[in-house]
Amino acid sequence: MSRDGTPAAVPSGVPSGVHRTVHTPVDEAVEKPVDGAGEAGAAVDGPVDAGVPPTPAQLRSAAPGPPVRSCGPLSLLAVSLLCALGALAVDDWQQAAVALLVQLLCLPLVVGRGASPGRRLVPLAVAALSVGWSTVLAGDSDEPLRTAATAALRLVVLVLPGVLLLGWLDPGEAGDHLAQRLRLPGRVVVAAVAALGQLATLAQVWDQVAAARRVRGLGAGRSPLSRARWAASTAFGLLVDAVRRAGRTAVAMDARGFAAAGVDAPRSWALPAPWRRADSVLLAAGALVAAVPLLVRLLG
Amino acid sequence: MPDLRLSDLSVTPAGARRPVVDRVDLDVPAGQRVLLVGPSGAGKSTVLRALAGLLEDDVDARGEVLLGGRPARPGEVGLLLQDPLDTVVAATAGRDTAFGPENAGLPREEVWRRVAQAHAAAHHVAGRDRDVATLSGGERQRLALAGALAVQPSVLLLDEPTSMLDAPTAARVREAVLRAAAGRTLVVVDHDLAGWAPHVDRVLVLGRGGLLVADGAPADVLAGSRALPADGLWLPGAPAPRPVDVPAGLLAPQLAVPGAATGDALLTGRGLGLVRRRRGLRPAPPATVLHGVDVALPAGRSTAFTGPSGSGKSSLLAVLAGLARPTGELTAAPGLAGGLPPQPWRWRSRELAARLAWVPQFPEHTFVRATVREEVAATPLALGCPGARGEQLLELLGLAHRADVNPFRLSGGEQRRLALAGALAAGPAVLLADEPSVGQDRGTWAVVAGLLAAAAREGVAVGVSTHDERLLRVLDGPVVALRGGTRVAGVAA
Repeated sequence: MSRDGTPAAVPSGVPSGVHRTVHTPVDEAVEKPVDGAGEAGAAVDGPVDAGVPPTPAQLRSAAPGPPVRSCGPLSLLAVSLLCALGALAVDDWQQAAVALLVQLLCLPLVVGRGASPGRRLVPLAVAALSVGWSTVLAGDSDEPLRTAATAALRLVVLVLPGVLLLGWLDPGEAGDHLAQRLRLPGRVVVAAVAALGQLATLAQVWDQVAAARRVRGLGAGRSPLSRARWAASTAFGLLVDAVRRAGRTAVAMDARGFAAAGVDAPRSWALPAPWRRADSVLLAAGALVAAVPLLVRLLG
Repeated sequence: MPDLRLSDLSVTPAGARRPVVDRVDLDVPAGQRVLLVGPSGAGKSTVLRALAGLLEDDVDARGEVLLGGRPARPGEVGLLLQDPLDTVVAATAGRDTAFGPENAGLPREEVWRRVAQAHAAAHHVAGRDRDVATLSGGERQRLALAGALAVQPSVLLLDEPTSMLDAPTAARVREAVLRAAAGRTLVVVDHDLAGWAPHVDRVLVLGRGGLLVADGAPADVLAGSRALPADGLWLPGAPAPRPVDVPAGLLAPQLAVPGAATGDALLTGRGLGLVRRRRGLRPAPPATVLHGVDVALPAGRSTAFTGPSGSGKSSLLAVLAGLARPTGELTAAPGLAGGLPPQPWRWRSRELAARLAWVPQFPEHTFVRATVREEVAATPLALGCPGARGEQLLELLGLAHRADVNPFRLSGGEQRRLALAGALAAGPAVLLADEPSVGQDRGTWAVVAGLLAAAAREGVAVGVSTHDERLLRVLDGPVVALRGGTRVAGVAA
């Protein structure tokens, strides 16, 4: 683009934010190499931001929240995995209790004030209780209660970090990192991210379908059986709609060049995938927490 | 730049006997601007998809599409689909628009420059950081347009790019499309013949049965308009169509509401508010979509809800239809509630369906049966009052010949009419319709308008959200103007 700021430099008269204000002091700031930080977007005058916006992790850093908010998807995934592996070392309820205690002590670093992860923990609680209960009932050990407590606590230690950490995972950001840092095939990553995005709209479509069925007199009755049947038929309708939508989305993606992506030139990524200090800190701390069961076992 | 050539295209959908597109030949020289018009259900969208080389797998298609003498590569031809919900591939508006440039392998700075240009060109004003899930229908349409523009394709194919927009926004988007299309080949499908004709080089008219019936410069095509299916087109300068007459009694409410004759309000809202909570993988903070709305729906009148896209029209209709629990006070008249609690959202499904009907903005996701005939009969059957109304409505709305087809196979305009038929079949006392006239040709529009007007004459309390000026004139009732989720001054349309 020319430095003299002639109107012709701006394609089809579209305000392009950064480059229209060529001789202003603001522009001097913007013309410096953009490091991907939030200032690039904020310094632009005019209604349109044309610079590279901050990544989701940078946006989260700028907002209040527990320390883990600044972490990217790879460290979150890695620590979740490490903690799950570490839990396999548990063979006694006391080890599990110590590991759980350490995990709970780290809770303030992961869960923000006021934000309750309660609903996410319900399946975990149900699973732990049922594992414990069935061990008591069906176990053939000498100390059924002890074995049950070990099994239930081991499950909690195994799953809890993942449940809490992956709540911070942004699917789009995860795609960026998986493709750019781990070099996974771009087309696979993009398809998976788009599918996850469609999954997010599934809740919305469910509401629409449920509303339409309710107003058409096909809503759930009061009896549990009628509710179950209603849920099944609504779910089926949703499934049919999802399959049809997937077909149309594939058409829309191909119309935007997805089919040819990576054939002539490698696909590019709109946002960088930086590994930041917060990621290193999380990885180090997470590795320590994950090693607790093993350490207790070796020392004890 | 390459010419676009379509030779001898015939398309027969799975299970259909007659083709929807019949032996269409088309030569579009590079840089030409083409408007494709025709009656609702004539196969316009199918031709567009064929031009993009993106027909669905389950149709029987013959013919050939060539761009510059060879099959088009994906991405060379930009296609904007009718339903903007299908085009979403990312969580934020900016990232969604960036999808095309990313596929093309552009450097990062160039990607975001393209995004900014495309957003400006498509009048996407919600910002690039906006969560796509929170956009209204009209806003989504503009974002989808931006996504198509960002690829900078040599051929741009648009399927009803302005159908869901109010008149001033539609004019701005049209201007933006024309500007963005400078130096490209453009094929637009739209019912707004008057709006596009002055700006295009060529008008194609697809007749019923999928045959090309006229092809030429706009002036020539319009001059020979006597040969055209006048009912199926919005010819510029023609008088507004007269709403069709509906047999008396067809739309009479099944439930006799005392006081309905005097025009009493059947539903009254005071200080209505709605906070939308979003569920899903990553729940977002709740958003206020309505606040402090006072509204009344009188029996025997049509109340129109107007406002720019994103102003809360659809949300208000859903609240009035008892589909969401609002804050504030929403009460049904005692005659309508008939012993039930006065808040519609507390009614059970059948109690609700016996009193009230709702036509959603995007009906294709909400069909409940596998054929058109069963779809219309679903509510009367559920209420235990089957009758001939459904068949009569299908006949009136021009869907009788497609009674055995799956609703998903209908065109966009046909689906909307089917949703209206399904809503009216059980004889509701309250009808709430969200953009019912979108995608209709002159003839089907007259039926839709006629049905809405007739329902009001029969004593139904009709509520219609619309941006269609013609429809507002026909409805001739109170107007509720919304902006930013709250009611603003503005009694006349």
